[in-house]
Amino acid sequence: MMTALMIALVVLGGSIGDVLITKGMKQVGEIATLNGRELLRIAGRALTNKWFLFGLFFMAVSFFSFLAVLSWADLSLVLPATSVSFVITTIGAKLILKEKISSVRWAGIVLVCIGVALISLP
Amino acid sequence: MKTAAVLIIAIFAQAAGNVFLTRGMKSVATTAPADGGLMSVVSQSLHVALQAMQSPEIWAGTLLLIVFFALYSAALSWADLSFVLPATAFGYVLNVAAGHYFLNEEVTKARWIGSIIITLGVVFVSRSGERTTTTVEPAQASAAGDGQ
Repeated sequence: MMTALMIALVVLGGSIGDVLITKGMKQVGEIATLNGRELLRIAGRALTNKWFLFGLFFMAVSFFSFLAVLSWADLSLVLPATSVSFVITTIGAKLILKEKISSVRWAGIVLVCIGVALISLP
Repeated sequence: MKTAAVLIIAIFAQAAGNVFLTRGMKSVATTAPADGGLMSVVSQSLHVALQAMQSPEIWAGTLLLIVFFALYSAALSWADLSFVLPATAFGYVLNVAAGHYFLNEEVTKARWIGSIIITLGVVFVSRSGERTTTTVEPAQASAAGDGQ
């Protein structure tokens, strides 16, 4: 039960983090320069964007939950289980970021999810 | 094209970063003391952390993973999350290959099949267009302003 809760925290934390980082980066705006000073300014803008920082926070929550759950559960259970985050994140991108997920994209994402689960088996 | 270039460099940086980190941590772990008890676990963790910071391989691995994250975030500034995230899953395939060639890890049948399915999935996703949202979000002007 505790293991399932922690895996949910790993997956949800990662998905929420990804959605928030995307929201932040879309506000920062499309990066269309290779000029070093300009890139530093953009990095500064990202690192002071509240959505980006919230996103980093959730990523950190996810990462430390991952480390914590590994202290008692098997990696061969935890790692395949977290592959479901590809689907959860896509649902978040659709609902919150209003991305349009075509059926081709859905098919690709489900394939990736299955493949990642297979790869992470012992 | 820009997206493909940025993501390919990102994925290679990630795979190389993982190889460096694994090599670094393996050499650290074998030199650390190993026995039971909470205090010894704490002191062992500190010991490992201190040793890790002296390893050039771990610094290189960390730096490469930061490069990965910067490029990943950069791609998200113009492309869909539902495009970028599954596309970077190709990194898993590279990790399997890198683990095999550089760390002498064995590749099981499940990993081979998984690699093929992921590659197929990434091909599907890459054919679905990289951006489906409008370029300017309503909140962008004011939010970008107070972010400065």
